[in-house]
Amino acid sequence: MYKRGKELYNKKDFFGGVIMHKIDIEAEIDVLTENKRFAKDNRRFFNENEIIAINIMGAVGSGKTTLIEKTILAIKNKELGKELKVGAILGDVFGDSDFKRVSKHSVIAEPLNTGKECHLDAHILNHTLHQRIDEFKNIDLLLIENVGNLICPSDFDLGETYRVVIVSVTEGEDVIEKHPLTFVNADVIIINKVTLANLVDVDVEKMVRDAKKINSKAKIIKMDLKDGIGIEEWINFLRSVLDVSCNTS
Amino acid sequence: MHEMSYAYSLLQNVIRIAEERKAKKVKEIEIEVGELLLINIDQLIFCFKAISKDTLAENAEIHAVFSGPDMRCEKCGRRFDQIISICECGGKVCIKGGKSFIIKKISLEV
Repeated sequence: MYKRGKELYNKKDFFGGVIMHKIDIEAEIDVLTENKRFAKDNRRFFNENEIIAINIMGAVGSGKTTLIEKTILAIKNKELGKELKVGAILGDVFGDSDFKRVSKHSVIAEPLNTGKECHLDAHILNHTLHQRIDEFKNIDLLLIENVGNLICPSDFDLGETYRVVIVSVTEGEDVIEKHPLTFVNADVIIINKVTLANLVDVDVEKMVRDAKKINSKAKIIKMDLKDGIGIEEWINFLRSVLDVSCNTS
Repeated sequence: MHEMSYAYSLLQNVIRIAEERKAKKVKEIEIEVGELLLINIDQLIFCFKAISKDTLAENAEIHAVFSGPDMRCEKCGRRFDQIISICECGGKVCIKGGKSFIIKKISLEV
């Protein structure tokens, strides 16, 4: 083989009569461009329609679906001061059990099965939004439940307005320290199932310290969704981010 | 395993370029991967191999280099190699880079 400029020729083929031509393409292609484009599109949709979109990330069993259910109930009980139109997109690798749980509460809900993927991306969210675009554009708050996974979802910008990461004490007191990249861009970090902390020998304050060390800007909420602990604080956060000009029903 | 998503996006881009150049085969691919993406290169190659079968990129060799993030305190300039929010001096630690996934070079047989 010899080199001429950026093009390589196979000497044997060259002299044998058949030219095997090899070219090197110097590229600078961002593989994540597609996701960024769809994230931008989603963000524009949320902004134009004054929708607060919340991407809820966390491991399997951390409490994502229960958080969505409790949020919907609080809104229905007018704990936010007014009734808002809520939409939910329930991401899962397979099945519709979360979708069934949430759709019982009479909100605009849509399941999103990723098949093999361990996370949602902006493209798949965009596709799901467009399936019921006329209904989704009239909501005030969109709760997006990401696939149960503490690592992969954080890489993918969905175009969301806020990022929430929920962990439960049963995942171990080092769970935040072990996954800094998941928490570094979160707007809210929820530590759930705090009433079980003693039973599983976990120091909740250590988890809070770890969260603060990684992300000093995030709001940290100690919660127990079953016992109602921390829900008021979460609702206060929603109240602070939901614009008063949002459409009310 | 998020490697499958990255492998799929990589394949889409590589095939697009190969088709634009009317290539017969993709021989090699050079990529730059941000360390903060936590991509396992062996898994990425495994996924790529599986999904590139019967395409122009079947058997293409993947060469990867990592690019690290720049994490430093806005106030005192101290550099960090671990993710931390606030420096000992009280300044905010900024994280730049380390999340790219770039195709640097593609070798094609035309």
